[in-house]
Amino acid sequence: MSKVKPFRLTMAAVALLIPLALAAIVFFLARYSWQAIGFNGLRFLWTINWNLGNLYGNTVIHHGYEVPPGANYGILAFIVGTLFSSFLAILFAVPVSVGTAMFLSEKAPARMRPWLTMLVELVAVVPSVVFGLWGIFVLVPLIANWISPAITAVFGFIPFFNMNNSTGSGYGLLAASIVLALMITPIITTTLYDALNQVPRELRESAYALGATHFEVVASTMLPTARVTLIGGIVLALGRALGETMAVLMVSGGALNYLPGTIFTPISTMAAFILSQLDSALQDPSNMAVKSLAEIALVLFVITVLVNAAARLLVRRTINVRNA
Amino acid sequence: MGAGAAALLVAGLGAGAASAAQTVTLTETGSSLLYPLFNIWVPHFEKAHPGIRVTTQSTGSGTGIAQAIKGLVQIGASDAYMSNGQLKQSPGILNIPLAISAQSINYNLPGLNGHHLVFSGPVLAGIYSGTINNWDSPAIAKLNPGVKLPNHKIIPVHRTDGSGDTFIFSQYLSFSTPDWNSKIGYGTSISWPAVQGGLGAQGNPGMVEALKGNKYSIAYVGVSFAQQIDAAKLGTAKLVNRAGKAVLPTAKTVSAAAAALGDKTPTDERISLIFAPGANSYPIINYEYAIVNKKQANKATADAVKTLLTWASNQGNAEQYLKQVHFKALPKKIRELSAKQIAQIEG
Repeated sequence: MSKVKPFRLTMAAVALLIPLALAAIVFFLARYSWQAIGFNGLRFLWTINWNLGNLYGNTVIHHGYEVPPGANYGILAFIVGTLFSSFLAILFAVPVSVGTAMFLSEKAPARMRPWLTMLVELVAVVPSVVFGLWGIFVLVPLIANWISPAITAVFGFIPFFNMNNSTGSGYGLLAASIVLALMITPIITTTLYDALNQVPRELRESAYALGATHFEVVASTMLPTARVTLIGGIVLALGRALGETMAVLMVSGGALNYLPGTIFTPISTMAAFILSQLDSALQDPSNMAVKSLAEIALVLFVITVLVNAAARLLVRRTINVRNA
Repeated sequence: MGAGAAALLVAGLGAGAASAAQTVTLTETGSSLLYPLFNIWVPHFEKAHPGIRVTTQSTGSGTGIAQAIKGLVQIGASDAYMSNGQLKQSPGILNIPLAISAQSINYNLPGLNGHHLVFSGPVLAGIYSGTINNWDSPAIAKLNPGVKLPNHKIIPVHRTDGSGDTFIFSQYLSFSTPDWNSKIGYGTSISWPAVQGGLGAQGNPGMVEALKGNKYSIAYVGVSFAQQIDAAKLGTAKLVNRAGKAVLPTAKTVSAAAAALGDKTPTDERISLIFAPGANSYPIINYEYAIVNKKQANKATADAVKTLLTWASNQGNAEQYLKQVHFKALPKKIRELSAKQIAQIEG
């Protein structure tokens, strides 16, 4: 008789809980949205017309599914809004984060360092609805009155950067991206800061011994060592940005049925759209609206996993190239 | 605020003293338009009925209806009545009017905010579908002779969250404009046409913010936000009613519209009051509903629900409560219909 190993068994059971919970979520989403997947087909992903249909009319049978008359679900605009805003946010956040982390680990006065680090970490715990409020009352007017005209004046010859092709209200892609960038900056900063602190002392001192300036030490010795961690931090941040809901909902301008033509145009992201439509979707007697929202959640999940996998692949590649 | 808290405290103490006989707790959730009124009502109601506690929550009309159907809450608050389809699925649900609300069309037009511009359903439909996109377009000018309108793009603002305000606004457009009715229709969330330069906002506070922040914008706002509109010095439009007259949302025009359709209200009280007949009728008014399951968990809960609804639609309709949110009282005939519906609630 083999020996029962209670410690190992309990630990294994606990460890299995997390992947099981994840699998349960995916299973539930897929099962719940199954009818929507059948009804929507692939045009769900590449059409931009979202219409709950007439919720006060009698439901009709369409392609074998019971739906409100006129119902049509296309989410391309939300996919584009999600990807655009998240990637722009990364674009804004990475230079700021790298600069901040470098300053904290190299140039900040030693006595101030713990305080400054704490301040950065504090930004990470600000609730997203607070960012949203700040966005509405500070950032959006700032964009409308100052940032948009400035960008238009410099880059206006490119239609994508010309505010005259949109409302110029301040709500939109740019506002969403900046708010997202602020929210993810501490994630990237703290991961990179920790990595920079772990660069072996010898490495840094050898570089100095070779006559490198302070900047050269940081830029060509320390940053490459911390590169993998940096990319890891960016992936983590991207995951957060893709799924952020409340803050984006408050400043994105809630676009429906069109793709963003400029950086100032209103957008909707998938997560924010699920939240904003749920209340009305609940009134759909055929339930197809709620099921389609569940399908959006499923697509968002798949996109997040894909982005994550792609980033990991990228990291592995970088390491291999360096080792070759 | 302080007075309200004190009233709550008194009510709480009263409940403690009176209730060796159990306290029943009722939960209300739903419409963000009704929420302020419930918060005004509850301290007074609890004082008068120490055995009943009421908790309120602002979540949205769709949530209110859904949770009342599922039995998660006793009272769902909604700006929109339930559809036939929903009622077929959940036949035991009552729609009981608690008060009358209205909606204003507001705009931020430099130099003209003090002037009540006139809009009609078809012109608003044109603005919200992008066929009318300039303030000085002939269609708007025709309704406002003698007004010097600016040559500037219109920014139409709509709600992005599911909303009773979207429901009644799109009903006004649907009932007055056949083209809008066939292409877009009405609902708490509709498939807004892609208007270059249009804007979505969250909730009534978001609508007011969007108006304030954007010159040349236009939006629809629940009348309980009239104070914020006035404080921000935004313009309020006169709307063309079914009789072809342009009217402002005032006590007189809202009551006229309510009276015009009061007699038509069926026994289940599900009716749209939008685009009512009558020369003085304001075209965008609606009943604010309590969505209630006929069959409550037990007799004590059922009695408490009946007490609350009866109080709300009678004593609760007193001017002292309603005027704070700019709502109007229900006509007597409607209160009688409601009493019959309330009597059907049982444990």
